[in-house]
Amino acid sequence: MTIDWSWTGDHTDDLTSLTVSHLQAALTAVFFGLLISLPLAVVAHRIRPLRGFLLGFSNVLFTIPSIAIFVLLLPISGLTRTTTVIGLTVYTLVVLLRNTVEGLDSVPAKTKEAAKAMGTRPLRTLLTVEFPLALPVIMAGVRIATVMSISLVSVATYIGDGGLGQLFTDGFQRNFPTPVIVGVVLTILLAVVADALLAALQYALTPWKRRRV
Amino acid sequence: MNRRTLLGGLFAAASVPALSACASGITSLDSQGSASGGGGSSKGGVTIGTANFTENQVLGYLYAATLQQAGVKVKVRPNLGTREIVIPALRSGDIDLLPEYQGALLNYLAPKDSSAEPGAMQNALTLAMPSGLQVLPYGQAADSDCFVVTRETARKYGLTTLADLAKQNGRLVIGAAPEVKKRRVGAIGLKDVYGVEFKEFKSLDSDGPLVKGALKKGDVDVANLFTTDTDIAANGWVVLSDPKNLVPSQHIVPLIADRKADDTVRKALARLGNVLTTAQLTQLNSQVDNDKKDPEDVANAYARQHGLT
Amino acid sequence: MYELLKNLGGWLTSGSQWTGPDGIAHRLAEHLQYSLLATLIAAAIGLPLGLLIGHTGKGAFVAINLASFGRALPTVGLVVLVFLAGGLSMLPVYVALVALAVPAIVTNTYAGMTAVDPDVRDAARGQGMRGHQVLFQVELPLALPLIMTGLRLALIQVVATATIAAYVSFGGLGRYVFDGLAQRDLVQVLGGAVLVAVIAVLLDLLLSTLQRFLFRHRTA
Repeated sequence: MTIDWSWTGDHTDDLTSLTVSHLQAALTAVFFGLLISLPLAVVAHRIRPLRGFLLGFSNVLFTIPSIAIFVLLLPISGLTRTTTVIGLTVYTLVVLLRNTVEGLDSVPAKTKEAAKAMGTRPLRTLLTVEFPLALPVIMAGVRIATVMSISLVSVATYIGDGGLGQLFTDGFQRNFPTPVIVGVVLTILLAVVADALLAALQYALTPWKRRRV
Repeated sequence: MNRRTLLGGLFAAASVPALSACASGITSLDSQGSASGGGGSSKGGVTIGTANFTENQVLGYLYAATLQQAGVKVKVRPNLGTREIVIPALRSGDIDLLPEYQGALLNYLAPKDSSAEPGAMQNALTLAMPSGLQVLPYGQAADSDCFVVTRETARKYGLTTLADLAKQNGRLVIGAAPEVKKRRVGAIGLKDVYGVEFKEFKSLDSDGPLVKGALKKGDVDVANLFTTDTDIAANGWVVLSDPKNLVPSQHIVPLIADRKADDTVRKALARLGNVLTTAQLTQLNSQVDNDKKDPEDVANAYARQHGLT
Repeated sequence: MYELLKNLGGWLTSGSQWTGPDGIAHRLAEHLQYSLLATLIAAAIGLPLGLLIGHTGKGAFVAINLASFGRALPTVGLVVLVFLAGGLSMLPVYVALVALAVPAIVTNTYAGMTAVDPDVRDAARGQGMRGHQVLFQVELPLALPLIMTGLRLALIQVVATATIAAYVSFGGLGRYVFDGLAQRDLVQVLGGAVLVAVIAVLLDLLLSTLQRFLFRHRTA
């Protein structure tokens, strides 16, 4: 099994556009995952009876094969990017929801009481006290969800999307290893770089944590 | 179905015998174009979808090269899946144009229809067309499903026709793409028409590495391949003949959404259909599968070479 | 949606759907076989590795980053790559599943080991225990809950991902998902997905029960 380097050289444009499309799908999914998880996590954090249900539900979603979710979305959103993004978003929920709830749980009760004693309203406390303190745990979740989404995007190649995943089906159908190797390497690179950038972002956002890191 | 598409379809059908009589050109094209013109517009660009096998991608890019030359903006979405997945996407507007095959498409749209001759099929297709879609005149190139066995298997069981398979009922394993299990040109038709019952149906792929690999290795006895695959001859595989015409005529035919079907698109695709031969298509497939060339490059080179651009 | 669920009921309960080579019983057995074997192989690799790193404290960087790397591996790509390199066999599937499971096992085993109170470890050494005695009699029992968490996580992921076997012509419940996609038979896809989810949840429950049993046994 050898790499055909001339193929790689001839396809830099294609590889660039596939990489961009790949990253776009993964990041959009994490964005929507956060948009759904943050409020749901507050609910799960505040209303104890719902907590087990919400976390359990997201766990069950995680056990459904991703390819099946994409296919089952076809009658709703067809062969579109939307299908890919919805499917990936479902998978980010399990990590994002759990980490956000745990992050909120980790805020010391005394801190919240102090805020209340100072007359800060609940919503303001949530936004200015609880979320910032929960940020390290939430960011850890965002990093995991991002890396996971980047690796999962390629499954959408079975419904004609999938960014770099298209290189896998193409190489498979033509018995041609080069695109597959390139696709795997680029996917891992993308994940590693995204993870490092998010780690840097986390570092920048949580100055009070620096000494411990 | 509205009156316009029916009319257009009948004209399309009428143009077809002329084509099969003289492969040099579709003479009635212009009259057909003007008769049903004005339906759709390709101004906003045309999205071409293709199914999940090499040849369909080659055809998709050939359509793209031809249309581009005619000034139409195109986008190709390769490798979307099987007909069962791609046609609903065409209906819902995710894509606008699809390279199709007469017989297989007719089996999908009207499984009971028994038309066999290309002109009759084109007629039947037009009648069976769901609203919003139409077929354009079919090209001279054709690619049929076929059922092949290795030379050893053919000798061992005395197989030359599909009918011979019935003598080995319950003994042979067939390998094909998963959708073929539920298709007439597949497990169902082989049983109905020839009384063939396999020991097992193995879900593999559409004329891809799985089904060919399995045939080579002996994991399957019978494989469903396409007649335009050079590997059949290269491996000395035996194509079982089809005396009862289970596999219908499979000329390549563009399936398009009404909203995009204007004269520009019709003329351009008809020109391609007129030029492209089965032998050429077979060669193009081989360049992609065996020489690892991009379907897009192969299609563009062909279009340039044959004055389509 | 209602129609789909109603048909799913019919699909799951029809007797003919359960028998034969493409029957649910056979596919279920195949799926369990792939998943359990892959997880066992992964455990055979991941457990010693995690224990070693945790016990010696060497290679902690690897243990921490392995999880992230493992999550980044695109399973489809890996399966295709091993297929192209070695031809058609179950090897590509097992390689991909093991690669998916090992990081979760190593990382959690390592985390379990680091969670052991250093004082306890020192006390064991002070009592004259040898390295392997400390590992097997003190550290391992204390790290067990997190080790089990890692195994459970690995197993769930493997069960969901073993679907991929069907892409390279093998069986398991993924057969229903891939065949259903090709035939646009959503009932079949949903049936396959539900069965996968059910066995993932059941296996997880089984392991968590086992974990609770082991844990109580140790502390009693």
